[in-house]
Amino acid sequence: MTRAVAGVRGERDRIYLPYLLPALLIYTVLFVAPAVVTIWYSFTDWAGLGTEPRYTGLANYRRMLTDTVFLTAFRNTLILVVIGGALVFGLTFLSMVVLREMRGRAFVRSMLFVPSILSPIAIGTAIGFLLNPDGALNRLLRDAGLRSLARPWLGPDLIFKCIIAALVWIATGFYVAIMMSRVDAIPEELYETARLAGANRLEQFRHITFPLSRDALATGAVLWVIGAVKTFEIVIAFTGTAGTPPIQARSAAVQQYLSVTGGVSGTPQLGSAAAIGVVMFLLTAVLVVALRRLLRSEAVEL
Amino acid sequence: MKQTADEARATAAAPDTAARSARVRPAPGRRSIDRLDAVLGGAVRAMLWLWVAMLVILTVWVVITSLKTNREVFTDPFGLPKSPQWRNYSVAWSVSGFGQAAFSSVAVVAAAAGLTMVLATPASYVLARVDRRSASRVTTYFAVGMGIPAQALVVPFFLMANDLSTFMTEWVTGWWDDRISLVLIYVILSLPFTVYLLTIYFRSLPTEIEEAAAVDGAGPTRTFLAVMVPLARHGLTTALVLNIVALWNETLFVLIVVGDPGQRTLPATLLELYNTMQYTSNWGGLFAGIVILVMPMILLYLWAGRRIVQAMTQGALK
Repeated sequence: MTRAVAGVRGERDRIYLPYLLPALLIYTVLFVAPAVVTIWYSFTDWAGLGTEPRYTGLANYRRMLTDTVFLTAFRNTLILVVIGGALVFGLTFLSMVVLREMRGRAFVRSMLFVPSILSPIAIGTAIGFLLNPDGALNRLLRDAGLRSLARPWLGPDLIFKCIIAALVWIATGFYVAIMMSRVDAIPEELYETARLAGANRLEQFRHITFPLSRDALATGAVLWVIGAVKTFEIVIAFTGTAGTPPIQARSAAVQQYLSVTGGVSGTPQLGSAAAIGVVMFLLTAVLVVALRRLLRSEAVEL
Repeated sequence: MKQTADEARATAAAPDTAARSARVRPAPGRRSIDRLDAVLGGAVRAMLWLWVAMLVILTVWVVITSLKTNREVFTDPFGLPKSPQWRNYSVAWSVSGFGQAAFSSVAVVAAAAGLTMVLATPASYVLARVDRRSASRVTTYFAVGMGIPAQALVVPFFLMANDLSTFMTEWVTGWWDDRISLVLIYVILSLPFTVYLLTIYFRSLPTEIEEAAAVDGAGPTRTFLAVMVPLARHGLTTALVLNIVALWNETLFVLIVVGDPGQRTLPATLLELYNTMQYTSNWGGLFAGIVILVMPMILLYLWAGRRIVQAMTQGALK
């Protein structure tokens, strides 16, 4: 038997490279290498196909620091990540307080998850229609005698707030699922003991649920950052791609899309598009490392 | 379940209440904390049910709107249609291009998800089983890719798709379909997550069965194909379903890589129709398009919902 087992190991060693190399080569040549090449493009001024990239050093990055359009796009992305994240996890914590023992909890959990597997374009189109100036929401408000509450929801002042709200509404179910799958693993005895000691739900959350699901929180927060930095679909679903989305509503990813396709001016700016990609990567990396530091905790053995 | 925390505690602590209340007096402020707890619990429960209700109402409203005439969509946004306009679906399907787009979506997603599995499964198997230091390093190397936003790849992929199209048209085949480029891009983007997820899954499988297969004289390739792949089918299906969900909804690279609107997938086609609404005002058709885009995912969720949730959450937690 041991010889057979050793044989298995030896034979498995022989298939190591042939099994691994196709995926490894494709990943290295077509994922990692292009990501590195993006850094080089970001140092150039490039009007797109048929023209030559011209090395301009840090010009694209300097422009990003002064151009209000870029600054707004990045500020919006940061707001989405930070404020949106606070709302998502705030709602998630609130749900965790009651979802452990609420009636119909399995149904509620599975329903809340649904928006995270649906196309944000589809959800955004439907909600966008409701929020139109003459759309259903304003009409409903007027009919209910609440005319003063009717607003141009998709106007420059409110559109980005509506986008954040929609994103939070879409995404939270996923984070509830992540956190609750960890909470499910907490032994019931802990809660019984706590109840016997007179702890109410809030105290149970503070002393049991929260500390014992901190590692899931760390993972969930990292996933949120990785996803929220890329926010693209929900914005263009609200604004459409005909013409260009209003500056107030643009995220960094939308600004990059406009730079690649040319946007209004019709001239692509591949150099600045690449620079936006690099900054988005750096933003993700910095936030992920910071979150890891902030939420680092010793794993609690259950 | 409607009982408050106070009642719950009272029941749980009933046997020794007398003994305790004699000695322990509730701390000051205790009552107000408990009241806050009860109020908060009720409010959060109400919020959760409202949330679910919004979801159901929005879904039902979209389906109903998809069966209305243009007039009804505006004059009576929350009413029922006089007679359901099934025509909206046939118009969306054949005139607005959702039929073609559905074909593109199915073909692109099937090819990309399938090819990803073919590449990732053998790689993950050896990464999980071969006892070399490089194996764990390569696994980490793949995991790094999950943290790189696709936006860091937009410019090179845009250029590569263009070059590939020009090269094939001028030198090799005489034609090119941008959807093939899209499939390749999807495979590349799906690899890191799929390899990572499957490596974890293969590690969780027992080794005895492979060893028994080897004792029976099966070579490593046969052991992999005839023993390990069937044994891992649960994890493989999960990875496949997750990739299908992600790729079905992908929009950015369709818009960037596929030039011909007639070749684009469903989300891009819906967006395109939405953009032309002010000229065509085919609102019923727009909502029919939403249903066509969303329905397959809802059916998939009804079929494999628990598995999707489990994979998306536990894959994340490991």
